Amino acid sequence: MSDIVIQAENISKMYQLGSIGSGSLRRDMQYWWEREILKRENPNQYINGSNKIDNADMIWALKNVNFELKQGEALGIIGSNGAGKSTLLKVISRIIKPTEGIVRGRGRISSLLEVGTGFHPELTGRENIFISGLILGMKKTEIFAKFDEIVDFSGVEAFIDTPVKRYSSGMYVRLAFAVAAHLEPDILIVDEVLAVGDADFQKKCLGKMNDATSKSGRTVIFVSHNLQAVNNLCTKALWLDKGSIRSKGNTKTVINDYLNTLHKKGWVKKYPTLNEAPGNDFIRVMYVELIAGLKDPNDVVDIRTPLTVKFRFYNASDNIVLSTDLLLFTLAGECIFDIPSKPASYKKGIIEGECKIPGNFLNDGSYYFTLYFAKDTSSELFSYEECLMFDIADYRDSINWYDKWWGYVRPDFPLLLNPVENDLKNL
Amino acid sequence: MSKKEIDHELLNWEWEIKPETSWWNLNFKELVSYKDLILQLARKEFLGLYQQTLLGPFWALLQPLLTVITYVIVFNRVIGISTGSVPPFLFNLIGITLWNLFSEMFLQTSKTFSLNVEIFSKVYFPRIIVAISTLWLQLILFSIQLLLLFATYLYFSIIGDLHFDISRIFLIFPIIVITTGIGFGGGLIFSVLTAKYRDLTALIQLIIRLLMFVCPIFYTLSMVPENMQWLVIINPLSSLFEYFRFAFLGTGTLNTFLLMYSAVFMVIIGCFGIMLFNKMSDKLIDIL
Repeated sequence: MSDIVIQAENISKMYQLGSIGSGSLRRDMQYWWEREILKRENPNQYINGSNKIDNADMIWALKNVNFELKQGEALGIIGSNGAGKSTLLKVISRIIKPTEGIVRGRGRISSLLEVGTGFHPELTGRENIFISGLILGMKKTEIFAKFDEIVDFSGVEAFIDTPVKRYSSGMYVRLAFAVAAHLEPDILIVDEVLAVGDADFQKKCLGKMNDATSKSGRTVIFVSHNLQAVNNLCTKALWLDKGSIRSKGNTKTVINDYLNTLHKKGWVKKYPTLNEAPGNDFIRVMYVELIAGLKDPNDVVDIRTPLTVKFRFYNASDNIVLSTDLLLFTLAGECIFDIPSKPASYKKGIIEGECKIPGNFLNDGSYYFTLYFAKDTSSELFSYEECLMFDIADYRDSINWYDKWWGYVRPDFPLLLNPVENDLKNL
Repeated sequence: MSKKEIDHELLNWEWEIKPETSWWNLNFKELVSYKDLILQLARKEFLGLYQQTLLGPFWALLQPLLTVITYVIVFNRVIGISTGSVPPFLFNLIGITLWNLFSEMFLQTSKTFSLNVEIFSKVYFPRIIVAISTLWLQLILFSIQLLLLFATYLYFSIIGDLHFDISRIFLIFPIIVITTGIGFGGGLIFSVLTAKYRDLTALIQLIIRLLMFVCPIFYTLSMVPENMQWLVIINPLSSLFEYFRFAFLGTGTLNTFLLMYSAVFMVIIGCFGIMLFNKMSDKLIDIL
């Protein structure tokens, strides 16, 4: 078995914080003099007592990252912002050197993050295709062979002999992407974070990724915040957290691990005494909880998961007609539903409530609940705003569509299509 | 998998990315594989220089022409430096052509990092590729100026009594090589330094301006008073100007020892420039 095409061993990258060398030749010379000639261990403390370089000034953007990929595998790299994803890609694509460790590989690496690299605004589209192609690592003969295809793909045939500075930004990006899309590297690197384009462009990027893995059996390394895309496109995943690997292996497992730390499942608010509980002279909310109906507690709450809201409150008034509303809002403040309880007469004391929201009802996103208490159906007793906030993850099964799903709700009402046997002339 | 197979596999890697950069890691095979890129980058810069301009590549001629006219007026007419039987125009043009080769080579190479951060931080290829393409571009621009010089030379040798000697002319080639080498090597060193210390960019301008006066461009070495000659002689560029002028005019202070000094200087500064550039180019990406 020697089909491993890329292997990273203990990759670490350290950056120095603050002003690096502060651009001062004098300080660097002093540093060199102290270290090389006087053989002092930590020269900076002699040069500039207050400005010692200690560990606080260093940051490990990557620490001991290991992975290997075989021919045709697709690796998804996930993690929050600043986790070191882009740094890792830069090390792999040889732009920066690792501080420690070694990467070995076979074949040509290209990345889709360099869209438009090397474009010269004064030159024509034709010239720029050649320059950009060569910079990205294509051979001259390759560019000649694919030239028509690239122009075709970009859709700017009419302007191919016009300087690119006169292009609209859309045309510019299309041409740039067309060049990048026709690279045929052995290892393709896609950084979606840097692919700042419109939705259409992002879609093209993902489509290209899909082709690369499924059709041409190319090895792909993919960085994305779009977990759905990672899930569907990648065979393996790697979760970076503060520069270290938190989890790696099977895509589904890694994504679940990742989401589980992002989205807590124990959404509960509990107040031990009535005085601490939010409310007023009429109502005190003692406890609110959102329970996710998951078969496996390690799973992630996604759009399929049924949810149960439970709450308990103290009613301080005797013999009143009381009702409670459960309201659900999006983070933007749009109300999705308002579910009232039947108004009924209650004695003073503790009352419990429960509401079940079925799975396959809410779309993915972030939401919050509000509890509203009313007397005689309409006069407000207390409104407990934003009492619980929660996230619902996306889930799509074998659908090659990665944009945000539209709508606040996402019910799976059946929509059926039936071919009709009919003669078109008799319409 | 047997042990033998593992060893075989280890040898089978096509590339490695390691933390350390050696001083001498010029991979000529790799450089050759990028020859298309070198040419295309030079072409891009050349085309970019003259897009949407009135005179296009004639600018390469206009600049030395206007400089020569200014020099003739200032140094020969106003100050009264004598060029002997040689027409002042030709005399100054010879000096300025060689000086332009050096100063442009030095200046443009020194901008390798500052002008290409965008590309360097996004894609890998040996960084020296960009410097080599600058070298080519400058040689092309120089050869345009050289054509102007030859045309002027022929003109004066037809109408005047210049002694044209074909064997002497070939002397210009080693002189061009040495001048290019010093400019390129110095430019590489300063490209690293200016990337790290921004304020040195101003120093480059100053160096070029001051260095011009200690090069025998609009005067000859023999005009310099004996007690001041050392100042011009320690400048490794000086003898190059004397030899370059000799190649055309057949006059000049020739000193093989000084020429050797220039050649050795070129080898040292050229090697040091390439080594420093190689060693530092990876590190500089982190701080640019």
